[in-house]
Amino acid sequence: MFEYDFMRHAFAAGTIVAVMCGVIGVFVIARNLSFIAHTFSHIGFSGASFAVYMGWHPLAGLLLFTVSSALAVGRMGIKVFRRDVSISVVLSIFLGLGLLFLSLSSKQASTMFSLLFGSVVGISTKDVWELTSLSLVVLLLLAAGYRMLKFDSFDPLGAQAAGLPIRFISVGFLLLLSVAVAEAVQIVGALLVFTLMTTPAAAARYLTQSVAKMILCSAGLAVLGVWLGLTLGYYTNAPVSFYITALEGIFYFAALGWYSMREKMQTNDASPAPSTAPGTVE
Amino acid sequence: MGCELAAREVSVHINGKPILDHISFSVKPGQFMGIIGPNGAGKTTLFRVLLGMLDPTRGSVSFLNDDQQPVKRSSVIGYVPQSRQIDPEIPMTAEDFISLGLPHRYRFWSTSKDRQAISEALRLTDSFRLANQPVGKLSGGERQRIYLAQALVRQPQILLLDEPTSNLDPGAQEQMASVVDRICRERNVSVLFISHDINLIAKYADRILYLTRGHYAEGPVEEVMRTEVLSRLYGSPVEVMKVDSKLRVISTGKNAAVPICYHGEAQ
Repeated sequence: MFEYDFMRHAFAAGTIVAVMCGVIGVFVIARNLSFIAHTFSHIGFSGASFAVYMGWHPLAGLLLFTVSSALAVGRMGIKVFRRDVSISVVLSIFLGLGLLFLSLSSKQASTMFSLLFGSVVGISTKDVWELTSLSLVVLLLLAAGYRMLKFDSFDPLGAQAAGLPIRFISVGFLLLLSVAVAEAVQIVGALLVFTLMTTPAAAARYLTQSVAKMILCSAGLAVLGVWLGLTLGYYTNAPVSFYITALEGIFYFAALGWYSMREKMQTNDASPAPSTAPGTVE
Repeated sequence: MGCELAAREVSVHINGKPILDHISFSVKPGQFMGIIGPNGAGKTTLFRVLLGMLDPTRGSVSFLNDDQQPVKRSSVIGYVPQSRQIDPEIPMTAEDFISLGLPHRYRFWSTSKDRQAISEALRLTDSFRLANQPVGKLSGGERQRIYLAQALVRQPQILLLDEPTSNLDPGAQEQMASVVDRICRERNVSVLFISHDINLIAKYADRILYLTRGHYAEGPVEEVMRTEVLSRLYGSPVEVMKVDSKLRVISTGKNAAVPICYHGEAQ
């Protein structure tokens, strides 16, 4: 399998993007931004279609549209944007725009398919380097802001009380998320961004008891899903994105099952729990 | 080493409506000030002014060290906000949660000094046995002590506690207030403690700041909790009574023969 350039590229790009998505996904989950990440991916689809229409590289259009959206959301405030209605309106508008740009350009069905569902085996050496450098920048910035981001993501009121620059953290994180989404779209496509962005982190949450371990576990599950997905895709005719989504889904439900079983065993060991936490009155 | 907080003639008007009106008071190092008043009296607004989150319409707030020199607000304040909610599945032990409050912002490994600060915060809040437990699984009273420990890990000289005993049962309320009182005396920390429970405040506070809509009374508990002071404050006759060694404030006006404080709870 590794004698082919396209498979080596797919493994290299898939691995680095999976690590980045696994890491950032932990904060996406903690900040309840899953649907904003999903919305960014649809906006990214429109951006990539625009780039195809303009004759640019799709990543340029993806980044242009997702980063601009992150700035717009930062300006409007996440609360306004997170409303169900706002998300559904924005999703529809940008999917429609994507369709328009593709219909205006000469490339249509195959391009649309790879933008919506990913095309990890069609990645060139240049693409690998671009994705690697962008991922490294995102990971380095996440490492630099790790302490503040962790505080604000898991205990927002405490972070505000401690005087952290919460608006700066919020907008900064949205910008990093927009870049990460633009990259993930290249691997799993606009419609399946959840697969790498939130599913491994959601599974890791059930398996670990510290944020650092959750990050490692999430990145590990994302990478494992991509590697197994590429391998299965190579030996069968089914699409790689299908395998990645299916595997990450299996990891999630297995983690959830293990967590529920552990909770049940702990409850059985302990005395019956009161309806409210002890020491609390309603 | 300590820090004095001094508020002078602080007024806050929101949409032209006075929320705080010419309020002046000071809290000296090692002093426990209880803040009490009905809902909407401006207690949390006052905290927002002290924290620098809201500029007063008039007046000023200063923080002075032992040499009466002004010090930077952010370096001396520890704040425990009201109604804090965390995810019960948060992947953190109580110790990890406390470490979030450490003052450094970029370094993500901990030094022996950090571990010492966490250990001291655990000791001060009687929380050593909770250190390795998942913070989301702690009881209301235990979690409140961990929130306090997170504020203490920055070694503040002034503690602002916004209703830290609300939603706790009486035993946990008493434990929380006694922990705060010990920190205040042992560490010479100035404490401002908002509560609806007048008897809890009366037991621990050196001074009391009683806020009603736009007005206030401030001084030692026995001076403020008097019939004539509170009648003047409310602008209608009230009576401060002691029933079963508990303070009760009863409205005795024509149209309002209802308790203002009932079972120690300000309504």
